Amino acid sequence: MIERRQTIFRTCVGVWIAAAAVCALAAPARCAVPAGGPPAQIEVTDEVGRTVEVPQPVRRIVSLAPSLTETVFALDAGDRLVGDTSADDFPAAAKTIAHVGDSLAPSLEEIVVLHPDLVLATKDMNRRETVEALARLGLAVYVTDPLSIDDVLLSTSHIARLIGAGDRGDTVDQEMRVRLFDLTMRLANIPPRRVLFVVWTEPLISIGKRTFLADALAHAGAQSVVEIADGWPQISFEYVLKLQPDYLVFAGSLGDANAPPIEELSKLPGWRDLDAVRNGRIAIVSDAIDRPAPRMVDAIEQLARMLHPEAFAAGATGNTSEIAPAQGSEVCATCAR
Amino acid sequence: MRPLTMRRVGWVCALLTAILFAVSVMALKLGAVPISVSDLVVSLARVAIGRSAQLPSDYRLIVFDLRLPRILAGALVGAALSVAGAGYQALLRNPLADPYVLGVSSGSALGAILALQLLPQVVLATPIGAFIGAILTITAVYYLGRREGQLDSTTLLLAGIITASFLSAIIMFLMTTLASRDLRGMAFWLMGDLSTPLAPSLRWFFVVALVVGIGAIYTTSADLNLLVTGEREAMHLGVDVTRVKLVVYVAASGLTALAVSASGAIGYVGLLVPHVMRLLFGSDYRLLIPASALAGAIGVVLADTLARTVVAPTELPVGAMTAIAGAPLFIFLLRRSMR
Repeated sequence: MIERRQTIFRTCVGVWIAAAAVCALAAPARCAVPAGGPPAQIEVTDEVGRTVEVPQPVRRIVSLAPSLTETVFALDAGDRLVGDTSADDFPAAAKTIAHVGDSLAPSLEEIVVLHPDLVLATKDMNRRETVEALARLGLAVYVTDPLSIDDVLLSTSHIARLIGAGDRGDTVDQEMRVRLFDLTMRLANIPPRRVLFVVWTEPLISIGKRTFLADALAHAGAQSVVEIADGWPQISFEYVLKLQPDYLVFAGSLGDANAPPIEELSKLPGWRDLDAVRNGRIAIVSDAIDRPAPRMVDAIEQLARMLHPEAFAAGATGNTSEIAPAQGSEVCATCAR
Repeated sequence: MRPLTMRRVGWVCALLTAILFAVSVMALKLGAVPISVSDLVVSLARVAIGRSAQLPSDYRLIVFDLRLPRILAGALVGAALSVAGAGYQALLRNPLADPYVLGVSSGSALGAILALQLLPQVVLATPIGAFIGAILTITAVYYLGRREGQLDSTTLLLAGIITASFLSAIIMFLMTTLASRDLRGMAFWLMGDLSTPLAPSLRWFFVVALVVGIGAIYTTSADLNLLVTGEREAMHLGVDVTRVKLVVYVAASGLTALAVSASGAIGYVGLLVPHVMRLLFGSDYRLLIPASALAGAIGVVLADTLARTVVAPTELPVGAMTAIAGAPLFIFLLRRSMR
């Protein structure tokens, strides 16, 4: 990988030297800018209120969060992604793209040499300082800030328009809306399950009300028991014991570091006193639910099926369209008996 | 101790400047994106003869817009913290004094965070908030560190460490309540971080403030030599102790505030650097202050170069690097001073 980058770099330098030589030979005529004038660009306001001028067409994209990488791939623009972060693992092709570091502390140098037309960042994963520094270097940085499923859909459409994939964006948007509407219909008359979404077990970290995850739960016929507005609060176990959620929801695959198997939880003090643990009511949903990208709908459907199997039984009411099997979901999640 | 001559000061400073230059060139070369020495020399030469427009844009961006400002910021922070450390050590007559250990860095950080929360639109709010935080903290630690009216070495250190942990707790509290969604960024900054360059509009302010701060402490260096023997003794020798103390406290706190608002709380530089300089060149403050400034710059530029290359392309906070080197030294010095 480093060698390849070195080669690219040397090629760039080589091209520059050649160009300089040509210019020197052509002296005293001034080195002309290639014909075509300045590239067209569009000015947009991103989701945190910054004004961004994005050159058109967007040929090279750097993504600074796994969800944004997924979104770009979902828009069939994965081949234009020239850089992503070391945590980006979906789809598999994302792993082979040059990594620019992690979301929190990416290498600005690596991003610069990739010459992106557009850098995608997200408020929750990236630092404001990174975004500001990249903007000062003259790069177009679009920051998303999805706080609900609707925001996720809107972000996807915004990005689709920016990169000239509006049609594909509309298709993705349509498909997601149909599937979400189908879920809404199926779950219409079913009271939501009271759940605790566990982001982390030690310390216990859950989700606030004003997050895309809380909204994802709502779409899956669940309601987070945590009554805290923003972000990813660390909460006390007593609070959870008092609330006694119907279900615990974990993201990830069974045996994951942050999703301990039920047997283990049922031995831990505190956890074993939860009704949900005693009754084996633990749902482990695809980690796609953690990522505000189109694939999230797969995870929402998966969770809805775990929490409300009756709504998906043969003959259950719902939208007439058939439910697409969870595409690309890597985890075959199981729900405890 | 050998008598200090202008010549010796000149030689030491020239030597350290040469090392700083060499380290800076190395730091310009090293990074996530490899750049060969010959390319670097060519591009530096081009800039030197005023032909920067001929540089390929990658070079201009990486070498001159990313690495150079970062090296300058690192040098600035290192110089500020080292001189502040040397100043505190003289005033408090305590070899273990350092902006970080005394809690002044935490106080600055708290001031900066409050300023950022309350007055986000005001230019220079962060450095001014950091300065107020630093002054209040050093005053509090100074009074807490006295026993029966006398400055007591151990009590002072304890007061500093306790104040630091108290202020850190308040910072944690503020971060979880006020700014939970900016938590990740702030936590990184608190560890000491140079990864994002200073805003160009603030660069000159920082350079000027640094020169003024170091200059102010330097003017008192002859008096500091006498002050380390004791305040009363210095007074008998004609030192205006109150004035010297005021100048050094304000200047050292200002330098700390400068460093913190540029890079967060980078620890142990103010402890490590003056000590190494004392071991190498003796403890005359007329040499110690300029030598510490230059060596501090060298140290932080080195530490930051490590921070951005060891796990490249991901970057580590530079404060983690300085703490790894500084904390063991602190223990070593503490044990030696106990004997």
